[in-house]
Amino acid sequence: MFFRQSNLALEKDDTNQFLPWLIAFMVLLAALSVAGLLMLNQISSAFEHGIRDTMTIQIPAGQNSRADEIHVRKALTALKQVDGVLSSKHIASAEISDLLKPWLGETADSDGLPLPQIIDVEVDRSSDLSAEKLTELVAPIIPGTTVDNHSIWLTSLVDTLRSTELIATAVVLLITLATIGTVVFTTRTGMGIHRRTIEVWHFVGAQDEFIARQFALRAFIVGLQGGFVGILLAAPILYLFDFILENLEEGLLPKASLDVSIWISVGAIIPIIALIAMVTARSTVLKTLKKMV
Amino acid sequence: MAEVVRFENVGLRYGLGPEVLHDITFGLEASSFHFLIGPSGAGKSSLLRLMYLAHRQTRGLISLFGRDVSTLPREQFPKIRRSIGVVFQDFRLLPHLSAFDNVALPLRVVGVRESEIRRHVEELLVWVALENHMDVRPPTMSGGQQQRVAIARAVIARPKILYADEPTGNVDDRIADRLMHLFEELNRLGTTVVIATHNEAIVQEFGWPVLKIDNGRLKIIPTDEPNPVNLTEVGEVID
Repeated sequence: MFFRQSNLALEKDDTNQFLPWLIAFMVLLAALSVAGLLMLNQISSAFEHGIRDTMTIQIPAGQNSRADEIHVRKALTALKQVDGVLSSKHIASAEISDLLKPWLGETADSDGLPLPQIIDVEVDRSSDLSAEKLTELVAPIIPGTTVDNHSIWLTSLVDTLRSTELIATAVVLLITLATIGTVVFTTRTGMGIHRRTIEVWHFVGAQDEFIARQFALRAFIVGLQGGFVGILLAAPILYLFDFILENLEEGLLPKASLDVSIWISVGAIIPIIALIAMVTARSTVLKTLKKMV
Repeated sequence: MAEVVRFENVGLRYGLGPEVLHDITFGLEASSFHFLIGPSGAGKSSLLRLMYLAHRQTRGLISLFGRDVSTLPREQFPKIRRSIGVVFQDFRLLPHLSAFDNVALPLRVVGVRESEIRRHVEELLVWVALENHMDVRPPTMSGGQQQRVAIARAVIARPKILYADEPTGNVDDRIADRLMHLFEELNRLGTTVVIATHNEAIVQEFGWPVLKIDNGRLKIIPTDEPNPVNLTEVGEVID
């Protein structure tokens, strides 16, 4: 019954030939934007986590490695006594060299390069422990020690990332609006093509809602078709993007990847775009029919 | 007998063009049978379009089933249209649907069960001698076959009023006679019938009252008036 009612042969219209491809292109753009948006969100959340929960203690390089070890041990022992410090971890010299490699190249491995000792401190933000307070506690034990809470540069970086997220959101909204506009245009064209058929439906007593359902169902099917094709086109691009991120130099950016939640979000574009197309077609038909006798 | 159609001083013009129907006043009683005659361009189709709600009049009053349609909200139109069957001169069959599905349309829009639709549609297609063409699509049918499908579609929902524009125009005399008897049978069951036709023989053979229209003006000729189809007299307008 439902199939028969929707049998207006709309699928044979020229407008319906290109609409799935147009929607596929929109979905491709939307998928890339949504995936990018969510990955940016991962990165900025990782940065924000850095701002909120960690501080870095930097101990100046000692005269030799033995001196460095003693300084680190003293600092770690002292940190255990501090209220608000949840954990502390010494970053091995090799790890520091790796972090510096993108900037210094192989020089970072050089034994002759005096590297400071770094301790990552995880702090309880509900406590009143600040970078200044931690400096006052540690500096008397190891002179020259500084504490960095990263807030200055990380805040501006996170702000930049959040702005980029807003732009990506605006792009997704624009794609949605463009899709709605396309569906409105093709629905009106389809109604023009089927004007005589619509008149017949009216003469046999069909309600506007009945006629609108024909177009809405067709738009839903076209939305699903276009959505699937769009996601199929987007998938290899997203995999490539993920591959590039996976192989990015360690330390340049916090880890971001196309996890399951991102794939689910990208996949959800298919029913969402189909529903948008269906609702848009229905309201367009109802508005247009109101102008007819 | 109550009137199902009433026109009072109805005028119609398309856009800013000249008036094509002038001061049309008449009433059709329930279960009546009329022929609508007149030369080409006289206003037959325009009058029919007003009667089946395809157009709104420019002036005057039209009431269908006792309801003034000029004040009727658009949402009420489908309900009234379901009580009206129309056979269009150009058939207006949906080319992508089979004869069966075309005839089934009026039942499908009101949600009749498919099993009932099948029973009624098959029965009617047998009646119009198209039982072997149920799955055929209109573009591959002859003019006469298409006309019979159009008639079957118009009567399938047992309308209270049936308008037919040249329903016998594309069929041979035997089928024409059979169709006229179908219309009479529907009329006997209570359907008000208006047949627009150029077929003088049919008008004279069946002898129902005639609505004559010419130059947009209407004259009603009762059954006892002699020679109701002398179209040369139509120009003599009776106000």
